[in-house]
Amino acid sequence: MALLQGNDLSKRFGEILAVDRVSFEVSKGEIYGLLGPNGAGKTTTISLVCGLLKPDGGNVVVNGSNFWSDPQAARRIMGVVPQDLAIYEELSGRENLEFWGRIAGLSLRDARARARELLEALSLVDRGNDSIKKYSGGMKRRVNLGCALMHRPDLLLLDEPTVGIDPHARANILDFIRGLVADGAAILYTTHYLEEAEMLCHRIGIIDHGRVLAEGTLADLRQRLGEAQLFVIEGVLAGVEPESWVGFAERFRVIQKTDRQLTVAAVGQRDPAECLKELLALPVRVENVTLKRPSLNETFLQLTGRELRE
Amino acid sequence: MKSLQTLLAKDLRRAWRNPVPWLVSIAVPLVITALIGVAFSPRAGSSGFGKVRFALVDEDDSRFTRMIRDALRGDEAGKYLDAEILDRGEAVRRVTNNKLAAAVIIPKGFTKDYLRARPVALELVKNPAQAIHPAIVEEGLGLLVSALNAIARTLGDDLAEWGALLDGSERFDFRAAGRLLERTGDHLAPAKAYLNPPLVSYEGETRANTSRPGPAWSLFAFLLIGMGAMFFLYMADNAMRDLYRELRFRTLERFQTLHEGLVVLITAKVAFAMAVVVAGAVILFGGGSLLFRFAWRQPLALTVLVVAYALFAAGFMGLLAALAGNERRADILNNVIVMVISLAGGCMFPPQQLPAFMRDHLTPLLPTAWFAGAARAVQDDPASLAWVGAAGGLAGVGVIVLLLAAALFRRRLQRGARA
Repeated sequence: MALLQGNDLSKRFGEILAVDRVSFEVSKGEIYGLLGPNGAGKTTTISLVCGLLKPDGGNVVVNGSNFWSDPQAARRIMGVVPQDLAIYEELSGRENLEFWGRIAGLSLRDARARARELLEALSLVDRGNDSIKKYSGGMKRRVNLGCALMHRPDLLLLDEPTVGIDPHARANILDFIRGLVADGAAILYTTHYLEEAEMLCHRIGIIDHGRVLAEGTLADLRQRLGEAQLFVIEGVLAGVEPESWVGFAERFRVIQKTDRQLTVAAVGQRDPAECLKELLALPVRVENVTLKRPSLNETFLQLTGRELRE
Repeated sequence: MKSLQTLLAKDLRRAWRNPVPWLVSIAVPLVITALIGVAFSPRAGSSGFGKVRFALVDEDDSRFTRMIRDALRGDEAGKYLDAEILDRGEAVRRVTNNKLAAAVIIPKGFTKDYLRARPVALELVKNPAQAIHPAIVEEGLGLLVSALNAIARTLGDDLAEWGALLDGSERFDFRAAGRLLERTGDHLAPAKAYLNPPLVSYEGETRANTSRPGPAWSLFAFLLIGMGAMFFLYMADNAMRDLYRELRFRTLERFQTLHEGLVVLITAKVAFAMAVVVAGAVILFGGGSLLFRFAWRQPLALTVLVVAYALFAAGFMGLLAALAGNERRADILNNVIVMVISLAGGCMFPPQQLPAFMRDHLTPLLPTAWFAGAARAVQDDPASLAWVGAAGGLAGVGVIVLLLAAALFRRRLQRGARA
């Protein structure tokens, strides 16, 4: 049974439909990634799931019960890591952890023990008693994450937990998250980093303009392009309209086109050598053709018509 | 209860780590009290204003005006007045250059006209750059004019003969003076019953100066109570507005993702505001007492008043912050309102000095006045029970505004208020 279900969640802010009938499920030992650009509706979705916002439509089911039928019970098994740092700068890392542990219901003794444990796991033991003001961005992110883990929640909602930190600090946090999943936690993870979603998530929902456009495992999403390979044609392509080429639209689907590059996918199961031959015979000056496996970026591109980094 | 303690401990620890705003709220009233107290305290050993320096321009230069000049420069007047005899041009120049507070000019022919019962006028040139001294000179001149008018009315027709006698152009006629004195004595005879012994008199007493803290009234205590009433509001404001800071730091959002309700958080913030006000009062009043060497005459009553006032301050400033809707607006609104209710409540000036409308209709309604008035009353008279009613009123109003503030804050936060 899924530990978390979002069913047709919708949220409107005035004229803007921030979340539009979003559905997903997250089970124990699974990381479900919501991948989308800034403003896609990821944070609003997290806010709906953890009860910071009430949905205008749809519902959230936590551990088999509707969230709003007993929000306190649902929150007890949740740990939320907000996108912005939510820690007290005047306190030390240890004090922050202990404070949030106490508020989450731990006894003083348990909070101290758990804070020690987490400081060690997050490689912060040496700096645990320093004021947060003296921490680097990566260290603050780790404390921000640790504060949500004090009460050992079964369900973790991580809203872009690695945003704005260096690659080394990011790798540390991702390793730590993998460890949590290995211990059985269910994680809803939002990100706009393709690589993170590819490396970390068991299933991914691609979200844009408040709607989940596609969902599945990485292989499923790649498969949505219908083919195992993409062909990247380089040449003089300014002013070229591939749709006007006779029979092209029946055999290939355009993924992306610029003045110098055309990325296409073959329609149906076709022999790549055959496809190459056809592409080289196109009525344009082709300088190079490369064959590559489709990435999430191409899937996103195909679904939204734009790159994730735009 | 456990969460409440945890939240309060966290806030106190944060305040301890970032003490500057709190120290400022304690240091400023102490400094203001010290400055005003040292300037105006009777212990300062002077009139508190210094000597009033002014110019006396005697263009008449008669026996009569020389008598006035000598009187102004005599031993008694010299304690308070520093009169310089100058000509008109120099006197006006020195007033214009802010060297003197005022110039009093006795015009030529003043004595002759006065003694012939013709209307005369003294001239006064005031220096607007000096606040109080010109007003003192003007008041003194008013007294002199009243006295001269009274003498003229009493002497009636004899005034002209006195004029002739005092006219310096002729040899002084002692026989004529004797006759005139006799007649003047007859004029004054009906007033004998009032003058000797005088009908109205006063008894003066100057208490021995003492350096030992004692029960005597202290200007410092009076000032500290007023300053405290104002700055405790600032402290409570700072504490309650921490709710907006928690919004800005996103810690409030994180709190809302946990199982504790918002009521606990708001209650903890109220407890925090009360704690800092009480701690501030201990430092301000305790430290002030040691620093300025006076004793609080009813510490228990003062403590009860402070606790009740802390409750009111937390609720009132919380309500204002909640009404403001965000941190920046609350910052501006609360500062202005604290200034206004402190001024109107008699915290900055003695309430008697306030404009009549404010004093009679507004001040009695203000909790700042209840606190300051009751605390001053028990300091003046330890037997006074004014503090009981004031503490009850403050606590009652405090509870009402607290409930309103909590409800409003809760509603705002639930609706997703932003800092």
